[in-house]
Amino acid sequence: MIVNYSLRYYFLLFALALGAPRFARAQNPARYTLSGTVRGGHGETLPGASVAVPALNTGTAADSLGRFSLSLPAGRYRLVVAFIGYEQLTRELNLTHNQRLSFDLAESGNELSEVVVEGAATLEQKLKTTQMGVEHLSIAEAKLLPALFGEVDILKTLQLKPGVQSGGEGSSGLFVRGGSADQNLVLLDNTVVYNPNHLFGLFSVFNSDAVQSVDLYKSGFPAQFGGRLSSVVDVKLREGDRQHYVATGGVGLISSRLTYEGPINKGKGSFIVSGRRTYFDIFTRALNKANENKEDYSPIPDYYFYDANLKANYALGEKDHLFLTGYLGRDVFGFSSTGGFNFNFTWGNTIGTLRWNHVFSPKLFVNTAVSVSDYKYDLTNKLDQFSFGIGSNIRDYTGRVDAEYTPTDRHLIKAGAMLTQHRFGVGRLDANSGDGRVNFGADVTYYGLDGALYASDNYKASDKLQLEGGLRLTGFRSGSDQYAGLEPRAAARYALNERTSFKMNYALMYQYVHLVTNSGASLPTDIWYPSRLSVMPQRSQQVSGGASFLLGQGKYLLTDEVYYKWGKNQVDFKDGAQLFVNPELDTEFIFGKSWAYGNELYLEKKTGKTTGWIGYTLAWSWRNFQPQRDLPGINGGRDFHPSYDRRHNLTVVVLHQLNARLSLTASFIYSSGSLTTLPLGRFGVQDIPGSSVGIDPRPVPIYPDRNSYQLIPYHRLDLGAVYKIGTRRNQDLTLSIYNAYNRRNAYFVFFDTLRDKATGRTTGFAAKQVSLFPVIPSLTYNFRF
Amino acid sequence: MLVLLALAGCGKLQNDINVPLPTYNADLVVECYLEPGKVPSLAVTTSVPYLSAVLPQVPTDVTVTLTMPNGTQVRLPFNPNYKALVDTTSGVKFHSHIGTTPLVAKSGDVFKLDVVDTKGRHATATTTMLAPITIDSVNYKFNDKTGTERKAYFLTNFRDPPALDDCYRLQLHKGNPAKGALLKSPEVDMSVEDRLLNGQNITLGTSYRFYPGDTVTATLYHIERAFYRFRQSVRDARQANGNPFANPSAVYGNVEGGIGIFAVLSATTTQKILR
Repeated sequence: MIVNYSLRYYFLLFALALGAPRFARAQNPARYTLSGTVRGGHGETLPGASVAVPALNTGTAADSLGRFSLSLPAGRYRLVVAFIGYEQLTRELNLTHNQRLSFDLAESGNELSEVVVEGAATLEQKLKTTQMGVEHLSIAEAKLLPALFGEVDILKTLQLKPGVQSGGEGSSGLFVRGGSADQNLVLLDNTVVYNPNHLFGLFSVFNSDAVQSVDLYKSGFPAQFGGRLSSVVDVKLREGDRQHYVATGGVGLISSRLTYEGPINKGKGSFIVSGRRTYFDIFTRALNKANENKEDYSPIPDYYFYDANLKANYALGEKDHLFLTGYLGRDVFGFSSTGGFNFNFTWGNTIGTLRWNHVFSPKLFVNTAVSVSDYKYDLTNKLDQFSFGIGSNIRDYTGRVDAEYTPTDRHLIKAGAMLTQHRFGVGRLDANSGDGRVNFGADVTYYGLDGALYASDNYKASDKLQLEGGLRLTGFRSGSDQYAGLEPRAAARYALNERTSFKMNYALMYQYVHLVTNSGASLPTDIWYPSRLSVMPQRSQQVSGGASFLLGQGKYLLTDEVYYKWGKNQVDFKDGAQLFVNPELDTEFIFGKSWAYGNELYLEKKTGKTTGWIGYTLAWSWRNFQPQRDLPGINGGRDFHPSYDRRHNLTVVVLHQLNARLSLTASFIYSSGSLTTLPLGRFGVQDIPGSSVGIDPRPVPIYPDRNSYQLIPYHRLDLGAVYKIGTRRNQDLTLSIYNAYNRRNAYFVFFDTLRDKATGRTTGFAAKQVSLFPVIPSLTYNFRF
Repeated sequence: MLVLLALAGCGKLQNDINVPLPTYNADLVVECYLEPGKVPSLAVTTSVPYLSAVLPQVPTDVTVTLTMPNGTQVRLPFNPNYKALVDTTSGVKFHSHIGTTPLVAKSGDVFKLDVVDTKGRHATATTTMLAPITIDSVNYKFNDKTGTERKAYFLTNFRDPPALDDCYRLQLHKGNPAKGALLKSPEVDMSVEDRLLNGQNITLGTSYRFYPGDTVTATLYHIERAFYRFRQSVRDARQANGNPFANPSAVYGNVEGGIGIFAVLSATTTQKILR
């Protein structure tokens, strides 16, 4: 429930929540803290590595910085440190006082381990955690899977997980458990990425050479996350090699990549810089040059995108660490007509984050970060002395503090605060001429202040029962409009035995910023709009439950999850909405409710020469927009499905290590056809005298209810092979065959006008189905020197 | 690899499919543009299922009544010029109903239209004649090229009245008006509103598209918001068919009980011969 009254009540709640663990710690004075860091062979931290004490049947997973902390009774123990892809390490320990240890794990000689790594999620860890509805994916895994045009895309790989739908053929858009694409919180090293796509959604902005891993939260959102309703996509960048200077890269069908990384000041830190650029434009320019003398010459527009990533870290001392993350990406589209008309369109994100990590004690870590995130597009037209430009942007300045406190081995407490200033450049327009005849501009800009406080406790009540409770207080202010919301989060896990556990969770989320788009696709001209005036914050709640079973001596994990999610103040737009440079944009919105439910079945195998997963989702998504103000509502106020509603979705992913050099992969996807809107009727318009001759031959379609027509089912098989070459196996050739059996999946359907070739007269109308990609083989060369 | 590349190129990415469409109930479609000094006429057709026959359906049982500003009701008899439906050369528009005497109209006059058929379908509409807006000037400028590449852009300048919510439509016709150039498709046809330029000078320009010796006739219509919105929504609806990035859009006119538009045209014109 949104409330506008004093925040003092909530500060009191947080104070109580943070104070509670002090009592718990006082009851366990004889325990000692074992803490430290887990690193890999190149000095890189290993988030998710497990540190276990088998004698006590306890353990923990390293956090996102590779750090761990365990509170143990005094005594002699055997520690087991493990991370898939690395040799397991065993060490004897006599714990008589608080100790800090670092573990360096050697890379496993078994190449397959790299193939199957899934970070924190060894199957047993996954069984034991309270968290559900989360998918962890390492870039090593994504790099082995076949990819469109050979471009490894971590967001598209996530689409192979249950409960996640794509927006359409080749799209990087994620639609999670009935939520729309703008309801995903996409984070790059904890900083929001407003447009995670290149080329209208065909590729994500994440360069596979720079990314370490991604976590997708579909439910049970931890309290540190908020601001979007549907999911959290938490992308972490690699830190770089701490011991050697290394160059890696690849040459692919449409782009090339180059990465350079190495130590700073003898291993006190490390850095990584990575860049990527496509080269469509080189080919199109060559084609244009070859054709420019032809009579019917029509130049192909220039298009390319590039992105650059930087990450650096440096240890200021034993207890202090600095991290710097930077991202710059741009899509560039340009066109010059023979008529002297110049058109330029650029868009992209700029992101910077500086984070200071301080270790107060082995039990208390604090991260303090400042960041900036900017997304903008600029479109300019020029003709002789005249210029016309439009643009939009959103820029955030954020400060945040996040603390982790482990008072005992039964509690993991997280708390933090964040404050973001948003600048919404909703629309900017300027037109000028050299002689001053034309000179005007318009600009609609809003500001917003977004704040949150949170606290959570993961409490291990017993070996069987683990509970997690969290509370997030959020507030948003734009002009004189202000809102606050309390977001409870709760999760529980009950272990029936060593191989079976049951889980439940609940989360409430608010979303204070809204994507203004009149399209089902991700367009660069989509703009963000704050909650203000009649545009209330969107809200959703989700409850989910499930069971996990370890099968086949721990080789397989079978998980079944059911969920129900319901939301209100969902936004859409009236037909013909005026979305650009409109100071009364809030009047173009319409508001409704949504609900979604489904069952996700997931079988994973992570060890052995053959690994992979099978996922099946049975799901329903609904929306309802009643008539409001002077608007008729959507579909007359009746319930309807969004276009991304898919009843059935099946994915099968298989990775097989044939030998030390050759890995083979295959992925298959089947899903119910997406929904679309087709015109039922048509009429003709002849317009005023002098507009056209006779009745305009272009029919005007009459659209009835939205999304009433279902496209044919979508299915596709992709095949891949990675062959390592070179004496050190530091190079590889990666073959991808997208859509191996050349299935003509429907991208969209339209009604075509048929004409007589001789007279040009309209002779009839026919339905056409358009497919986007046939079978597409691609070969990529990758190296590491 | 070559085999795979060859396979990639084979087959069409666009195929005919059979789409079973549910039953569609036709609506009356009314299009009426009154012009001062001309005999009132209008086209009444019906919408049809999308995949049905090409030619528009012209109902023969429709009664049309035009109410003049002074309250006089004028029946427009059914008298269709069917030839215009298939004529692609003369530029004559189709009408199903036409009056007998030229229209007298001045700024501020309100007209009403009533269309009813024997099946109980009843459409009504109201429109107001707006004050014509004078074209202050027209200009052109040639590029630096020679021969067939030498082309000019064309500028039309006018001033928007102080009150907000004015909409305009500008047509540029190329050719000799005496030879029927103004009945043919225009070289440029654009609609603008004064939302961002209220009360200011407005300049509308073209790309380099006119040749030396061209006669350009600029016609500036001062149109009602309903007509502007009708044209925008017709454009949006057309673009949505075949565009996977567009959302389907309804068509908004000012005809209650049917589809279409009723307007009085208020225009000013000027001519320029490009030297």
